[in-house]
Amino acid sequence: MSELPHVRALVAGALAALDAAERRINDLNVYPVPDGDTGTNLKLTVSGIAEALEASTAWARADLARDVTRGALMAARGNSGVILSQIVRGAAEALARSDDLAAALRSASDAAYRGVGKPVEGTMLTVIRETAEAAERLDPPTLPQLVAAAQESVERTPEQLAVLKEAGVVDAGGAGLVEILRGLAAYVAGEPLPDPPAYEEEIGPEAVHQELSEFRYCTTVLLEGEELDGAAIERELEPLGDSLLVVGDPATLKIHVHTDDPGAVLSLAAARGTLESVEVANMHRQTAEREERLSDALAAEKTCEAVAVVAGAGNRRLFAGLGAGELIDGGRTMNPATQEILDAIERAPAPEAIVLPNNPNVIMSAEQAARHASKPVRVIPTRSLQEGLAALVAYDSSRSAEANLAEIFDALESVGTGAVTVSSRDSEPDGVAVRKGEWLGLVDGEVVVAAGEFDEAARAVLERLLAEPRDVVTLLAGEAAPALDAVRAWLEDEHPHVEVEVEDGGQPNYPLLVSAE
Amino acid sequence: MSLTAANTAIVVDSTADFPEAPTRFPNWRVVPLYVRFGDESHRDCVDLGPDEFYARLRTASELPTTSQPTPADFAAAYEELAGYERIYSVHISGKLSGTVASARTAAAEAGADQLRIVDSDTASAAIAMLGLAIQRRLERGTTDEEIDELVERYRREAGLLFTVDTLEFLARGGRIGRARALAGQMLNVKPILTIREGEVLPVKRVRGSQKAFMEFVRAFREGTPDAPGLRVGIAHADAPERAEALAELVARERPRAEIDVTTTLGAVIGTHAGPGTVGFFWFYDP
Repeated sequence: MSELPHVRALVAGALAALDAAERRINDLNVYPVPDGDTGTNLKLTVSGIAEALEASTAWARADLARDVTRGALMAARGNSGVILSQIVRGAAEALARSDDLAAALRSASDAAYRGVGKPVEGTMLTVIRETAEAAERLDPPTLPQLVAAAQESVERTPEQLAVLKEAGVVDAGGAGLVEILRGLAAYVAGEPLPDPPAYEEEIGPEAVHQELSEFRYCTTVLLEGEELDGAAIERELEPLGDSLLVVGDPATLKIHVHTDDPGAVLSLAAARGTLESVEVANMHRQTAEREERLSDALAAEKTCEAVAVVAGAGNRRLFAGLGAGELIDGGRTMNPATQEILDAIERAPAPEAIVLPNNPNVIMSAEQAARHASKPVRVIPTRSLQEGLAALVAYDSSRSAEANLAEIFDALESVGTGAVTVSSRDSEPDGVAVRKGEWLGLVDGEVVVAAGEFDEAARAVLERLLAEPRDVVTLLAGEAAPALDAVRAWLEDEHPHVEVEVEDGGQPNYPLLVSAE
Repeated sequence: MSLTAANTAIVVDSTADFPEAPTRFPNWRVVPLYVRFGDESHRDCVDLGPDEFYARLRTASELPTTSQPTPADFAAAYEELAGYERIYSVHISGKLSGTVASARTAAAEAGADQLRIVDSDTASAAIAMLGLAIQRRLERGTTDEEIDELVERYRREAGLLFTVDTLEFLARGGRIGRARALAGQMLNVKPILTIREGEVLPVKRVRGSQKAFMEFVRAFREGTPDAPGLRVGIAHADAPERAEALAELVARERPRAEIDVTTTLGAVIGTHAGPGTVGFFWFYDP
């Protein structure tokens, strides 16, 4: 009888297992290109085999092997898919000659290594080779034993490939191989195929997560004894959790189970033999830590942190959004202590820093802090929040403080700033007569207008700033700011080519801060 | 061996954003990548043109995903070109896509020494422009050595800048690399990016489209001679007015430059860069 239906079912098993694990494998993918598609690529490659078999009419095993090989090769996507196609080729060629599983795996491993120019260890290459070696040791191996061997091999990959260790993940391609073996084993054992995955709604960089096991403790026991009955122990452990594996020989068994009751597992095992070693790990904590490590590893390392003195909740959000990692609350007076600035500089993990004082009165404290800092620090003498924002736009965390200083000075040259506030007394600053309670308009720190109406003061400030050609105007509304609709409409009418951004800055003392560049 | 347009074919992938290539040149083929919305798979620029793609992107609940052509896709294209003595297969940077790996697998499988697989180290219209530079040499007669030199010089000297409306798309697809340093989307900030040695790199960020445009002007002036032989490419994702403005800029700054291609970014690059992306490419090839 043709083995075609049997092989089709085997491949369907592998495909179902990959399908269920696709998202998890995608999230593991940091090497060689962290594009999160290893799971998808492996699945598409195996789909190619399934389609080739659907179309196949092969009778002889050699012809079947040829169809499987060709299907894999032609559908291979991604580095992982290509390597998988070589593994499939090696295995299929050997299985065409004999049923020897160990020989098939050896042939698969050899083909995979031949298929890549420069073999890198800690990848699926290592996993197929070590699985082949396990098969040769066990001879004859069972599929569940091979799944366990491949799994152990995958778990060692971070020790072999630094990028995996940094990201706190195992190799994605190797993990995919385990799933394929798991799917084959499930079919052979007559177990139901894994359910198709429930796709989650959200995708995005935050999808750096692994599905949480329902159970909390990963429990591993090495048990020694005489005539240990692995199958019986497995049956007894079954109700206690999932991911159950009992492997080994009658003298030594390795038990692995995810459970909420590790104590029960240990009592049960201790009743059968001697506990040689026990490991219990809290997987929920492991998962959380892994997520954190992976997000950190994916975020670019900063060479230079930006430390900024800021007032107002909206402004804090703007500064943080533009990449300032250390914000110092300037309070109503915008006058933090030198020590606060120094603390912020030292707190930043980056090896260098720039400081944005954002107030003329803070520049000296910032310089003072910079002199006492343990790392290279450059103070950008920004005199207002608006200048600080313009400086941050030109900031690049991957450059040194010195390089940032140069770029930012260039950017600040073309920025004009203005503000509207309320006069606290009668006076004549900068030659403008001002009565207490009047609106004051300032441009680059000098009073240019006093007016009874807010809109009038705001328009005068903008008029002054837009006397030079400008492309972008930013309005930062302060605490208790009057409505800006009229000012905005006036800008659109009078200066239609200027891009206008209005943000709720929330700064005290200045109902309106303006920048034009 | 003397190479001509009659005995040498050029294969690019659809990320070259040059879908009209086969109609312009009988010796060119375009192998499409795949774009998937959910479980629906489309061939980039074949079943799914850019206009339809951007229309769907605006309303899709889930972002599309992309995947490279299979080795079989390349094998079919190479087979179709079997009558040519030489095939140059020129592709998107291997650091951005597995496409070139697929082409190499197909080439190894074919085992024919007629095939030359080229990793362009770049993307989009820059791939088309490298193909066009090869084509110009084919049309006057050339050699493999001359093309090798051209490819090396192109990798070194060709300039490109692009700006995206948001870095979110690049980050999501894992193509962001060091450009992550420019993250931050407040205040209408535009990151200006380039591709060097196959990787997306940050150049700087500026406020608003006009400043982004001025940055293009500055880099273009600094990076190009005012001489005939200057070649320019422009590509945009659903932003034809920006492409138009760039064409005017070229005419003003470098009146003797020739615009090789003006194109819409196809679905694959569109997926990874996002709508509103504009790219500007140049190469001096006297």
